Amino acid sequence: MGKDECKTMLDALNKVTACYRHLVIALGSTSDSQNLREELRKTRRKAQELATANRTRLTALLKDKTVPREDRVEYERLWVLFSSNMDLLEVDMKRSLEIGEDFPLRVPTRHLIATGMTGSTTAVAARAMSVQNMKYEADGDVDTADLRELRGEIGQVSRMMEEMEMKVQVAPWAVEAKQEPGAELRSAAADSVGNSSVGVISICEEEPKEDDEGARRREAGSGSLCAVLVFAVVLLVAGVLGYLVVSMS
Amino acid sequence: MNSSTSSRVLVSTWGGWRPDCTRLQIARSMTSVPSRTPPSRRSRPQSVPAAPSRMTISTLARGGWQREQMASFRKMERVIVSMQDPDMGMKMRNQRLLITVIPHAMTGHDIVVWLIRKYTIYEEEALHLGNMLVRYGYIYPLKEPRALLLKADESPYRFQTPYFWISTRWPASELDYAIYLAKKNIRKQGELMEYEKESYSQLHKRINHTWDFVVMQAREQLRASKQRRKADRIVLECQEQAYWLVNRPPPGAHNVLDMGPEKGNAANSRVTLIENSKRALCRNRVKSSICLEGFVKHSEQYNTQDPIMHGCLPSNPWMSDDPAHWIMNAEKVSIPTRLRVERWSFSFMELLNDSMGRKEFMTYLEKEFSAENLCFWQACEDIRHGETSKIVPKVEDIYRQFLAPGAARWVNIDSKTMDKTLEGIKHPHRFVMDDAQMHIYFLMKKDSYPRYLKSELYKCMLAKAIVPQETKKSVFPFMRRQRHSSPSPAQAVAPATEQDCQGGANSSAVSQDAIIIIIIIIIIIIIIIIIIIIIIIISIIIITTTTAFHATFL
Repeated sequence: MGKDECKTMLDALNKVTACYRHLVIALGSTSDSQNLREELRKTRRKAQELATANRTRLTALLKDKTVPREDRVEYERLWVLFSSNMDLLEVDMKRSLEIGEDFPLRVPTRHLIATGMTGSTTAVAARAMSVQNMKYEADGDVDTADLRELRGEIGQVSRMMEEMEMKVQVAPWAVEAKQEPGAELRSAAADSVGNSSVGVISICEEEPKEDDEGARRREAGSGSLCAVLVFAVVLLVAGVLGYLVVSMS
Repeated sequence: MNSSTSSRVLVSTWGGWRPDCTRLQIARSMTSVPSRTPPSRRSRPQSVPAAPSRMTISTLARGGWQREQMASFRKMERVIVSMQDPDMGMKMRNQRLLITVIPHAMTGHDIVVWLIRKYTIYEEEALHLGNMLVRYGYIYPLKEPRALLLKADESPYRFQTPYFWISTRWPASELDYAIYLAKKNIRKQGELMEYEKESYSQLHKRINHTWDFVVMQAREQLRASKQRRKADRIVLECQEQAYWLVNRPPPGAHNVLDMGPEKGNAANSRVTLIENSKRALCRNRVKSSICLEGFVKHSEQYNTQDPIMHGCLPSNPWMSDDPAHWIMNAEKVSIPTRLRVERWSFSFMELLNDSMGRKEFMTYLEKEFSAENLCFWQACEDIRHGETSKIVPKVEDIYRQFLAPGAARWVNIDSKTMDKTLEGIKHPHRFVMDDAQMHIYFLMKKDSYPRYLKSELYKCMLAKAIVPQETKKSVFPFMRRQRHSSPSPAQAVAPATEQDCQGGANSSAVSQDAIIIIIIIIIIIIIIIIIIIIIIIISIIIITTTTAFHATFL
């Protein structure tokens, strides 16, 4: 059905956007390399393909006047999700141009920032492209060549988004989200095994000790309670021994 | 030597300082500069960035916007990039977590030393520079991520990736923040900080239409980050957290991006400065000796009335949760407090401002058969502060009642004012009765008011007025919530300025007292236990000796 197809396409676009953002974060840092630039280019192309496919499908569905009311509401929601996705993608593309120009790879005097990330991003790119292994076939100057194309592609994306706004009139404020706050926690149980490994090792997190006074008061109270208990026990033992002494003599 | 030139270089890199500043002046002004005003603020707002590479993006430069501090951000970035030099740059160490080793960490001490060496500056200045780098998010601390300052000791720091630099032309948006909060929610299973939880619910309301996208994207981003090694994942988390601590600081933390209320451009402010100075020259001036005398008199007179300076009877409701003070001083109360009645004798305006006082004064005037003055005054006040649409009928009413010849309650106004008012009534507006009102006001003030203060009515009221009792402080030490009253006015000997300090110290001292008392009791119990143990040991010895005794005899 139209809805499911749209949903899967939107999910795919979402996945590629997330991976693209992940790759752009690594730009300019020590995990930057020619491979990364190539990965960026490939992911970007894939994202654009998916975006155009999504857009054509959704515009077709929304222009169709014969769809029933609930379907139309659903399509509008998907449309809003799609346009937010494209916003993120556009910003990420512009940012990658900004950073890519600032940190050219083959200029020896321009050093990359030592951020502590040294691993490769191949797996992320493979996930974005939905392949098992990434193949790198570009030549050595991919970073400069890429930037030229990037400018053109950014222009394309902006034009596409403008067309989108013109063609389809969807009021974003009329759309209601299906998920309530905290919805992400529920299905996170499926990923909880993976999550816990991430959560345990975030040692750089240190939650400050709030409510110090309350903690102090509680400690004082529990301390006094323990002392009273010990006192009672010792008193009991003393009483028993005293009774024995008395019964002895 | 090189030092002078390099110091001047540094002076110009931190733009806004005057070029004739000597190093000592810089150091002195650095220490005196309050943390809220980084020197970058004084740089003029630039629209064209310095680095040539950005000039090439001509069409795309229109997207995004430049912050006002962009020039200083560029300079900070140059410092950061020069730190990356493998030969002359920072010394990197490895950060050792439980099993993972993450490279590219540096200690605060190293940063300060490097800055001193590179720019030949003193330690104070290097510390200040380093602090700025940390506060603007170019370097983030690893040990205590929420305290964005540079400690020149062994605490570890790391560089922030260029994506999260603050000089980006596409700053953090609400959507990004929502995605970050959703990711954090998933990672920590709902354990967000208070202000984050608030922001989360606010964002849920505000961008509700894309909330599904936020959730989807958050999940996908987490799945994408799982594809990387553990060490990289940790670095990513720390980076993002540092980024959001700078861009969405927790409440109470200093927001480096907040430029403050006095934003205005340089050009405008000079013009307004001249205008203000011109206006200030023509102002009337009063000798300070005179106005200070007046101020001292006013303070002395109102000292007993001020709840902070003089204590609040029966008790300060904010501290003891007892609203008796407010109940007794409410607008309509059958018996007023003594302070309130005394206040009426300070000035005529005080009496008129208090509704109860006004009523009393009205009864007095009725006895004296001059109540129409007060009624007239009240009606004029009503016009001045009332609705515009009702002004005309009200003025006509007043004319009929008070001013017309042969009116029922004719007020005694002199002829000049009366003529002026009658003229004004033909074209009524809000302030048409002002002169007449002022005349009557002064009449009452000079004539009826002093007589009222000497009258039996007022003296009766003064005698009837109650002085509330101060509530006793509870002496029971085990009560966790102490009922504090503010310092008693009867015992106030210390000057007024120390009283509120004492009041604050009192409450904290009392709660600390409770804890100290509890600790003392615990110690006493432990001593008693030790004594009992000794007694038990003695009794055991006695038992064994008596059994031995018995055994020898039997």
